[in-house]
Amino acid sequence: MTDSNPRSSAPAEDTAANRQGIKIVGFLCNWCSYGGADTAGVCRFKQPTDLRVVRIPCTGRMDPLFIAKSLIYGVDGVLVSGCHPRDCHYAVGNFYARRRMEAFKAFLPFMGIDTRRFKYTWVSASEGQQWQKVVTEFSEQIHMLGPNPGVELRSGEILKVSSGLK
Amino acid sequence: MLETDRNQLHKCVEEALPELDMMIGWTRCDPLQTTPVFIRDAKSISSLTLGPFCSQNLAGYLVKPPALDAPPKPDAKPIGICVKGCDSRSLVALIQEKFITRQRVRIFGIPCGGTVDWRKVARHVELGSVKSADVQDRVLVIEDSTTTHRIALEEVLSRKCLGCRHPNPVISDVLIGAEVSPRSTGMETSYRDVDELDAKPLEERLAFWQSELDRCIRCYACRNACPLCVCQDRCIVETREPRWLTQHVGVPEKFLFHFIHAMHLAGRCTGCGECERVCPMDIPVTLIKEKLNKIMEEMLGYSAGLDPEAVPPLLTFNPGETEI
Amino acid sequence: MAVKIFIAADRLDSVLEKLSTKIDLWIPALLKDDKSGPTGFVQYTPGITPAFDRQTTMPLKKLLLPQEETLLRFKYQKDPEGSLKTTIALDDPKEARPTLVFGARSCDVRALVTLDRVFANGPYVDPYYVQRRKNTLFATLVCGQTDSKCFCSSVGGGPADMEGSHLRIVRLEDGYLVEALSKDAQPLLADLAEAPDKSRDQLAAKLVKEASKRQVGDLDTKDCAPAFRNRFQQNDYWASMVSQCLSCGVCTYVCPTCYCFSITDETRNLEGERLRSWDSCMFYHYTLEASGHNPRPTKLERYRNRVGHKFSYIPERYEGLLGCCGCGRCIRSCPVNIDIRQVVGNLKENSNEQ
Repeated sequence: MTDSNPRSSAPAEDTAANRQGIKIVGFLCNWCSYGGADTAGVCRFKQPTDLRVVRIPCTGRMDPLFIAKSLIYGVDGVLVSGCHPRDCHYAVGNFYARRRMEAFKAFLPFMGIDTRRFKYTWVSASEGQQWQKVVTEFSEQIHMLGPNPGVELRSGEILKVSSGLK
Repeated sequence: MLETDRNQLHKCVEEALPELDMMIGWTRCDPLQTTPVFIRDAKSISSLTLGPFCSQNLAGYLVKPPALDAPPKPDAKPIGICVKGCDSRSLVALIQEKFITRQRVRIFGIPCGGTVDWRKVARHVELGSVKSADVQDRVLVIEDSTTTHRIALEEVLSRKCLGCRHPNPVISDVLIGAEVSPRSTGMETSYRDVDELDAKPLEERLAFWQSELDRCIRCYACRNACPLCVCQDRCIVETREPRWLTQHVGVPEKFLFHFIHAMHLAGRCTGCGECERVCPMDIPVTLIKEKLNKIMEEMLGYSAGLDPEAVPPLLTFNPGETEI
Repeated sequence: MAVKIFIAADRLDSVLEKLSTKIDLWIPALLKDDKSGPTGFVQYTPGITPAFDRQTTMPLKKLLLPQEETLLRFKYQKDPEGSLKTTIALDDPKEARPTLVFGARSCDVRALVTLDRVFANGPYVDPYYVQRRKNTLFATLVCGQTDSKCFCSSVGGGPADMEGSHLRIVRLEDGYLVEALSKDAQPLLADLAEAPDKSRDQLAAKLVKEASKRQVGDLDTKDCAPAFRNRFQQNDYWASMVSQCLSCGVCTYVCPTCYCFSITDETRNLEGERLRSWDSCMFYHYTLEASGHNPRPTKLERYRNRVGHKFSYIPERYEGLLGCCGCGRCIRSCPVNIDIRQVVGNLKENSNEQ
């Protein structure tokens, strides 16, 4: 949904989750969580199907604005997962990421966006089971929250909220 | 008092000007407002002014033309600049991030009792008819063609000034006038507006920002006025590759633009309030950054623009902080 | 058939409501819950707060040139071989609905003279603009604003100038006297309110007369074009005038006569649309070329272009018509208080000295 590239829109599978229209974007580090998700798949662990995975080279590449753009345009949940602290392939990428994402998590609700729609976690390549747990829990949480209302105003609506600012 | 300070400023600049490449200051252009002025000629020094109408933060001009027409030569003369307390923090932030060197600037620090927000003045008088304006003993005295209005300065101060903790320049070569005591000393008073909005339910916060940001016309004045928005012509909100924003005028675009602005200033914003001051649609843009500043202060104990040696918190890390 | 009506102040809302059932009605209104806050033209719905007492922050050009407008839509369709085949569906200009702008000011309406020359009077006619232009009527307030930033008389207008207006509104102490100036506006006034009594009618006539005598602004705009050409290459002049410019788009976005636009294709998944949206010559990207070269690399060239466009290029192309309506919005909204009157006024001062 966030992608403007015409080539990347594969038709969604007809599953219960898709019928409900829940979309979760996962940004997974190439060196660990992406492998972890793969491990979970190879081991045939049952996983929810509403996660769309974007592979990133390191959580250090994770710009909080990826999350902002996703949530603003109505993606229902964003999951970021990378290497455990001190296990970063590039030594320090996830340390930077941790600060950014913590700050962003605290900032989101101020703008009126439910912070529960965003989660970040650490999963290594061998932790297939852990991945299954993380993604199942997060997916359940997003289903509980329901579709993301986004920030768009209904057409023609003029809102005038008194700011109370001095 | 203002008169004495102005004379002192003129005298100091006059002495310093031969050693300077240029002097950046304010000049009165309207009873209630000033405009930035770039002085190379001793004749123009008398136009320099200071005081509560000098609302612009001049620090940004150091990283944009005309100060930065070309990369400075090694033997370039320093640039003189007038700064209020909040402006000086922007200077420190620019020094921290190595956009300018300390030697490159000659800082004329001006302790500041707050600046006048003309929008608030407009609640009391019709701006177009103002003939003269002056501040005497914390009272704004305005004359129009028929009457003299007396408004308490408190009522017309810019919002950022109400919770100001650093009215005195944190860095300066020359101090003009006497230091003033800060209006606020702690987080409770500095982030009052943030806390008030935070106390509302999530839906109300969303509705608030929807209604505020809906007015945004994407003129990008907030970005261009920001002394720390150093990307300028390379800003990702306008580049086509990568393509972050469309040309649609919907609220999502406006949200994303302000997210971009805010996140790129996280841990860097010094709270000078320029973004809010310049907004033609009167959107409380600074409030967004105030929230991030508060997070930085609570989470990482950091306030931007106080220590030239410090590293902005999102440009560094600490492996030990398992629970931030 | 009524040609003049009097709307008592306390009946204004009900009259507007009635008017809005006849025609799409746009009025100047507060955009924020603050009586001195920003204002703009919005479509009337009962309960909105009109702002007739001062000029709006935003001009009315968005009614004729929306900030965003879809010119056509397109869709990619995959063919069986797997490569992308493009089909394009064209969107005709939407049928414009009859619209009345109630409470514009003479500068706002006068700005349309400039826009008409560009978009409607050929040689290239813009069907989107023309559609809306033809269907929009203007009820214009005789302006009582005495603002130090206004200069409408200097650029050919005036507080009571009714060029391009269909109705005239005179603000009296206890209400509004509305008079139809053109035939197509007359039916609008039917059954809205009573005709004015004689004293009010005379008072209104007197106010109009006074307003038309009022001289607003003292900028000398004669022979700006040659003066501008003289100054064109004097970088020192432009540096001395606009070094403080932030290169933001405020002045162009609040300007009623600035019409520059950008066209972009916005694609999402397999569908997209071609958008026309406001652009500003104050932006770096406005003139950025594909090669990376930018003919107007700094704000000095960009600001010079803005002045040149309004006071030299447009007058030379359109028989002396100025590209400025003297509303003063760019002066009022400028974050660093650049005054275009100063920049234009000084064009002629000692221009050969430097």
